[in-house]
Amino acid sequence: MSNPSKTTEVQSFEPRIVAFLCKWCSSAGSDLAGVSRIQYSANATPITIPCSGSVSPMYILSAFNKGADGVLISGCHPGDCHYMEGNYLARRKLYLVKELLQFIGLESERFRMSWVSAAEGAKFAEVVDEFVEDLRVLGPQNRLKAKP
Amino acid sequence: MVNVEEIRDYAASLLEKEEVKAVLGFRRGSASAFAEPCTITEVGEAASLVWDPTCLNNLALYLVKDRKQQAVAKTPDNRPVGIVAKGCDSRAVGVLLQENFFKREDVVVIGVSCEGTGVVDSNKLSDKLKGKTASRITFSGADDINVSVYGDETETVIPAQEILADRCLECRAATPTLHDVVFGDTVEARDFNEPFHAAKEAESASEDERWATWEHHFDRCLRCFACRAVCPMCYCHECVVDSTTFVVTLGTSAEEKANRIRWCERSANTSESAVYHLTRAIHLAGRCIDCGECERVCPVNIPLRLLNTKLEKEAFEMFEYQAGHDIEQASLLSSFRDEDPNSFIR
Repeated sequence: MSNPSKTTEVQSFEPRIVAFLCKWCSSAGSDLAGVSRIQYSANATPITIPCSGSVSPMYILSAFNKGADGVLISGCHPGDCHYMEGNYLARRKLYLVKELLQFIGLESERFRMSWVSAAEGAKFAEVVDEFVEDLRVLGPQNRLKAKP
Repeated sequence: MVNVEEIRDYAASLLEKEEVKAVLGFRRGSASAFAEPCTITEVGEAASLVWDPTCLNNLALYLVKDRKQQAVAKTPDNRPVGIVAKGCDSRAVGVLLQENFFKREDVVVIGVSCEGTGVVDSNKLSDKLKGKTASRITFSGADDINVSVYGDETETVIPAQEILADRCLECRAATPTLHDVVFGDTVEARDFNEPFHAAKEAESASEDERWATWEHHFDRCLRCFACRAVCPMCYCHECVVDSTTFVVTLGTSAEEKANRIRWCERSANTSESAVYHLTRAIHLAGRCIDCGECERVCPVNIPLRLLNTKLEKEAFEMFEYQAGHDIEQASLLSSFRDEDPNSFIR
């Protein structure tokens, strides 16, 4: 309580998450979370993509560059890809992206990946809630953000 | 020891029999002791070829340039090209073959083994010579390098460990695996640094330290694109991080030009340079063969090789993938295995 202004600042920080959701599973999963009236953080901006395998590393870098506090990529469980192998390719590619971002010193909690099927509305809500909590602790992302 | 006469004779015989239109190799340069790349088209010129620890360049770059030139030439000359290749250069040729950039019969790889040593790092060398300029640098048997300086022709023997380029200290295949002929002995055990030594060391720093280092490096980047220009794997006509390379034809409307997605601006500020270097590292994942050229040509000495070797290390440790190792294998990012890491995904 010694520094009240700082406390309010931390409390008022709302992390901004860019969530790339596969249209065949996670996107439907987030829909299900909505129609089931599950209460979860409204910090994620969903962007529907055709497949988690279609995510270019540039999407992620670009999101961080434009000020996202966290990037979530969510696709179908292994074996469930609509295009047979897209999520396996995504897993390999995004593992490398994750390692690279950690290597240059971006906080490792800022980039996250999850498998959420169309039936897992509750899991989607849980993933987003967890992510928001972790990002609140980290505070705003300034490392890769473009300076005005 | 590699006998340079053998390389010259072989290059001359290739040209004589007209098996190749040219041989890419090294000749004595005008910059002190350092060799420079050259293209030899006449039998007589073969005598100017050299082989010593100053043959720094990755000549595979010129194969790529030739291919690009022939693709737009009115009367393309598609005869094969010979190339003098170190271990790393031959891996570069391997990756280009794997990607079908050209065919195996289009290139004659004259492999040269670096044996116990490799090429020198000019920065380390000038540190060592304390301002003097080297006039002659030669291999000296097992793992030493002879250096003599201007004005004093006595040769000093310097342990290779002290002046070799970082990549040579970590090299896992000093003998070209892909070759039509190979000169020099195959040396298996090399007593320098373990593979990925530098990347592992960089990894061991804390998160904040790592960012402080890289922020400093990204901040200094001039965006001169020298790293891209020198890389044999950066052969795209249109570079996604450089809007000036976007193809504009007579049919391109002003609207199209204005609305092209620019993932990354050309301005040299920290955040844009970070996007550039990270994108480049990802594009080279599973393709970078660790020739260290990007780092060598960088005018502000950004340790670019670290980004690439970090991914090379992950590819090797997690996916058992080595770039340029097998020209038949599927590329790193177009293949997968069931046992790929999954635990990082929720």
